[in-house]
Amino acid sequence: MDKVCVLGAGSTKYGKLDDSISDITLQASVGAIESAGIESKDIKAGYISNVFGVADKQVHLGPVVMSNLGISDRPSLSIESACGSGSVSFREAYANVAAGFYDVVLVTGVEKVTHTGTEWTTTYFSYCSDFFYEGMAGASFPGLFASMARAYIHEFKATEEDFAQVAVKNHDNGLLNPKAHLRKKISVDDVMNSAVVASPLKLYDCCPFSDGASAVILCNEKFAKDHGSNYIEVLGSGRGGSPAALQGREHLTTIPSTKIAAKAAYKMAGITPSDIDFAEVHDCFTIAEVVDSEDLGFFEKGKGIEAVREGKTKLNSEISINPSGGLKSKGHPIGATGVGQVVEVFDQLTGKAGERTVKNAKIGLTQNFGATGASCAVHIFQSV
Amino acid sequence: MNEKQDFIEHAKDGKILAHKCVNCEDLSLATVYFCKKCGLRGFDDFVLKGQGKVETYTIMTVPPSGFEKYAPYAWVVISIDSSDLRISGFLPNIQNPEDLPIGTALKVVDFDKRGIVLEKS
Repeated sequence: MDKVCVLGAGSTKYGKLDDSISDITLQASVGAIESAGIESKDIKAGYISNVFGVADKQVHLGPVVMSNLGISDRPSLSIESACGSGSVSFREAYANVAAGFYDVVLVTGVEKVTHTGTEWTTTYFSYCSDFFYEGMAGASFPGLFASMARAYIHEFKATEEDFAQVAVKNHDNGLLNPKAHLRKKISVDDVMNSAVVASPLKLYDCCPFSDGASAVILCNEKFAKDHGSNYIEVLGSGRGGSPAALQGREHLTTIPSTKIAAKAAYKMAGITPSDIDFAEVHDCFTIAEVVDSEDLGFFEKGKGIEAVREGKTKLNSEISINPSGGLKSKGHPIGATGVGQVVEVFDQLTGKAGERTVKNAKIGLTQNFGATGASCAVHIFQSV
Repeated sequence: MNEKQDFIEHAKDGKILAHKCVNCEDLSLATVYFCKKCGLRGFDDFVLKGQGKVETYTIMTVPPSGFEKYAPYAWVVISIDSSDLRISGFLPNIQNPEDLPIGTALKVVDFDKRGIVLEKS
């Protein structure tokens, strides 16, 4: 397998955007091309992830992107894997470059849903669950993660205030990120006093619905050495699956796909969780970040909540989790999120992260899943 | 063939239709096509009483469309008695967590457009 590198990265702001889904997809893509210092004609294939293009009247985004980049003859793959679409797409792109099919590819993720309103998004997002057992019976995504949170509180004596601290930390980080959706300092009291969405989760335990697009250029090592000064290397790539419905899982407070994907990625990279300097993890809800931090091996099962209480996951502490602000503050344009995490790692490891820079960081990890973790991808990157 | 339809008919009757693998005897809900343990396809029907205990739940206050008139309501995961299986379903008329301690006994009473419908037993 060829060694694979990230040569460039671009992103729109996350939030409520006025431009169309195809426009923001192109803005991020052009940003990545410029960042990489290449021409669009260097790109041999495109991987475009999106979930609800139907809401902005454009699905099958791949050929639209390629055509507007002046490379309409190149193949593209339009990918949906719920909230994990971006990382799954990244993995397919990675595998194709590693296998030698292409030397340079574009990976872009996008979502444009804020114009549809809360009822539409709550309803349509619920179609990403195992609908027969979950969405059909009235569960929303906040509801599904609320059920994980209640199980965690019951089993590990956590409190709602503990979970609130995850939101406070990620908002602190997001304040330092000019592209974040929710740039606002909040307190534990703010979280506790926010409206209940699905008990025990309150509004400020939940990430926002966001618009946004993120893109990266992946290439083989030879191309990176010939064309780029600022690139990072993909050290490990892992994927895994879980029972689609929560009810089918051995434990209600663990996401099996994360553990499987992480094990594969660590093995490929030849490292252990303690080697990771910072991680962009899937904190769609505050409970999710705690569960992720355990499933990724940063903390023992049930100890993730203690780590939050003790501030071990803050920026430049024991392990910086979600220096970008995470889904909670940076925002969650679901088709873009997994790619956006890679953009953050690229920025961190190439000195472009400004005030939120993780000091002396050499190795970063991304973890992004679909639905309640029914599908997951984990990637590990190293500065060069 | 529609495995779900059989499952739904049993749930309407307050029962859970499971499948027991003819090879390894692993029990799964009747909606799966291959045994998760041994991978073979070959099951005997195994009917369980639709009774169990609350493992976890949420009380939904911001519902998806179609559920507005029921809010607040609970979406619940229960462990089915005398098995290691769980099912999830809709439980109306729950306002506060005090109304539904973990471990509360529930039963399946119907299956309609709200999926599996539960009631306190």
